[in-house]
Amino acid sequence: MKKKQILLYTAFFLIMALLPLVANSKWLAVGTTFLIFSVVALSQDIVLGKAGMFNMGQALFFGLGAYTTAILNAKFNWPLLATMPLAILVPALFGILLAGPIIHLRGDYLLVTTIGFNIVFVQVLQNNLGGITGGPNGIFGVESLSLPGLADSPQTSAFYLSLIVLLITFVLMHNLEKSKAGRALHYLREDDLAAGAIGINTRVYKIFSFGLGAGMAGMAGTIYANQYSAVSPEAFDFVQSVLFFSIVIVGGSSIPGILLGVFLMFVLPEIFRDFATWRYFIFGIAMIMTMILRPRGLWPASFGNIPKELIRGDQNGR
Amino acid sequence: MADNTLVLTNVTKRFGGLVAVDDLSFTVKQGQIYGIIGPNGAGKTTVFNCITGIHPCEEGSINWCGEEIRLLSPHKIVQRGIVRTFQTIRLFSQMSVAENIMSGRHIKSSQGWWNAIVPTPGSKKDEKKNWQRVGELLDFFDLSDVTVNAAGSLPYGTQRRVEMARAMATEPKLLILDEPAAGLNDQETLGLIETIYKIKDLGVTILLIEHDMDLVMEVTEYLTVINFGKKIAEGTPDVIQKDPAVIEAYLGSEDDDE
Amino acid sequence: MDIFLQQLVNGLTIGSMFALIALGYTMVYGVMKLINFAHGDLVAASAFVGLMIYTNVLGGSISLFSVIAVFLLTAVVIAIVGVLLERIAYRPLRSAPRLSAVVSALGASMVIQNGIMLLWGPQMRIFPDLLPQVYWEVGGVIISLIQVIIMLLSFILMTGLYFFIEKTKMGTAIRASSIDQDAARLMGINVDNIIVLIFIIGTSLGAVGGIFVGLYYRGITFNMGWQYGLYAFVAAIMGGIGNIPGAMIGGMLLGLFNAFIAGYVSSTWFYLYSPHCHPYCPTNRYSG
Repeated sequence: MKKKQILLYTAFFLIMALLPLVANSKWLAVGTTFLIFSVVALSQDIVLGKAGMFNMGQALFFGLGAYTTAILNAKFNWPLLATMPLAILVPALFGILLAGPIIHLRGDYLLVTTIGFNIVFVQVLQNNLGGITGGPNGIFGVESLSLPGLADSPQTSAFYLSLIVLLITFVLMHNLEKSKAGRALHYLREDDLAAGAIGINTRVYKIFSFGLGAGMAGMAGTIYANQYSAVSPEAFDFVQSVLFFSIVIVGGSSIPGILLGVFLMFVLPEIFRDFATWRYFIFGIAMIMTMILRPRGLWPASFGNIPKELIRGDQNGR
Repeated sequence: MADNTLVLTNVTKRFGGLVAVDDLSFTVKQGQIYGIIGPNGAGKTTVFNCITGIHPCEEGSINWCGEEIRLLSPHKIVQRGIVRTFQTIRLFSQMSVAENIMSGRHIKSSQGWWNAIVPTPGSKKDEKKNWQRVGELLDFFDLSDVTVNAAGSLPYGTQRRVEMARAMATEPKLLILDEPAAGLNDQETLGLIETIYKIKDLGVTILLIEHDMDLVMEVTEYLTVINFGKKIAEGTPDVIQKDPAVIEAYLGSEDDDE
Repeated sequence: MDIFLQQLVNGLTIGSMFALIALGYTMVYGVMKLINFAHGDLVAASAFVGLMIYTNVLGGSISLFSVIAVFLLTAVVIAIVGVLLERIAYRPLRSAPRLSAVVSALGASMVIQNGIMLLWGPQMRIFPDLLPQVYWEVGGVIISLIQVIIMLLSFILMTGLYFFIEKTKMGTAIRASSIDQDAARLMGINVDNIIVLIFIIGTSLGAVGGIFVGLYYRGITFNMGWQYGLYAFVAAIMGGIGNIPGAMIGGMLLGLFNAFIAGYVSSTWFYLYSPHCHPYCPTNRYSG
């Protein structure tokens, strides 16, 4: 099981790393989008899939990261990579501040509140608050990073940068699963009363999940700003959050499931261009069908992440 | 105040106009197996909810090891060494038995939240040590056959054991059991009695609510009987069995057939 | 003072529409504990269905008969769609994890929204002048016939619903089901039928709301459901979701709030979505 996983992920990264050799610039852009949105979807999974909180405003944190990078880079001339730490920290802090007062809300109420936050955020961007967000047009002229050896192809650079960020995300997700805090999130999703009664400070860990998810989404924001050399408000609309939300649930809140969801949502329509107008119609039907046939998602997350030495005798491990 | 003593003084808990616990006082001494009994709806579980901070009571005092814990939140009470099980088992049902027990190691783990992002050699060692402890508990509660099974898929009796193992993983000084024998068959109940004695031998004080009178009379050393949230008697099992007020309460409310 | 009264009239008009739409959310939530994300899109669909019935079935004739026919036929069509929606997308998921039903509702919303687009195209359509453009000036305030009809008809429908819910046996069954489905079932209430009934009532009221939107704002687009749906949804939340009179009051308050903000501050802060690029629309930035 474990070996199969490592093999699968190695193969995935190898194939992705070789993609620029065969893909033209259009497919490279599609590939980059796939990588970036995978990072955002995985960040959404921390809050929704792991901690079980109905957050429908993840695009807010994605956008906050992208705008942080765009403002610092285009207006204050920071080097692109130097903006990344702040593009992580600003959304993370925002996530913590926003989560504080709403974290006790249950299910649908949290969902509505986070949609509200997302709408307010886009409104603020469009109304050019403080004169730094560029209004409805957004911000242009963000630097396109050139990786060493790829100076002549900013698109290939953007692709590899995104691949590195996705790799970092994978490592983060792995570390999270193997830590006290990561398990705490699972416990409070399953039963937060029981989690509190066993000594877990549920409030702190709920806020932690928002902060961590927001930071990761912010990191994706930096590479998004890099890919398009621009940011604009509508890319972070709450409808985008709805898509990330759906991807996590349809995927089944596991890494392969979420990547599959991002692929179906953002890459498949590019392959079948003739169906472009039918895209969301078909995707909507697919969402309903998936939920009816596989209520836990296409590739449900599995538990039993326990050290081998604990498993004795001939247990039928799952 | 003596160490590891739980003292409830004039505890009152109201839900709207209903007085669920009425001016209740009792003392649980270190090393005791202490029982609380009473007819259905007498307010027993509410007392536990007050002690463990799930429904903090408005009046009275709950003193543990010389500290007032009445208004502390549930996780802080666990950190002070009081942990409970639930009448309706509350396990993390989709997760494995081992992971369920590991949740009890949460407060004993030295990892910080940042270790979820960057593990350190220290945090890895801590992780390993805690899983080892889980292994010991699996043996102690005879659960090593079901380590990887999802807790929710197990038979009722086994689930009860998992819940007790999870509670014991926090290394409590006081273990609160809410009807541990409910839903168990005779053989499982015998096993439970044995487990309770084994836990007591570890030096853990036990406070339990139970309907199974045979079990209560056998294991407990001291009892408080409540009805309509009020204490109607206390004493050793022998004394309680002869107490007319207790007999009256049980016969007078013919709703208990367990 | 003139602005105040004018915005009061406008706010009550918008509020009536929000309230009608909000009722669909609140009734479904009350019994099923599910946010029916597709409701807003059914409202948008009813504007298009109304347009189609008017031009294709009634041949574009304006008379009292055709106005009534547009309202009734649209309500019937949309109610059928609503019942089918419940049957196909929601009923199989009643015992599934909560999130599955939420995602199914989001999927249904995408299907309906893009279904409208596939049937009637992505461009804005103009809703016909079903009612004559008559205006009155009362003390410096301009009131149109459309506004009067919107407020009057909404009031009648909501009062009717209120009495239906509070005074009839069916209404009692609805209230019982929203308090405790299992207990209601044990008392012999067929909860499945109640849910169908709720979808019929909720979507028909939404259909009336959708035609009002067409009459009042004229321009209708396939993706406008999100906007009106969201307003109405906020109204339902303000009134305490699941609470029927609450949704009516919430809708009115939100309408008034909306009108006064537009009148006194600026409407840019109240524009919920940007029509120039909607991630749902087929011509987004990836396919350009």
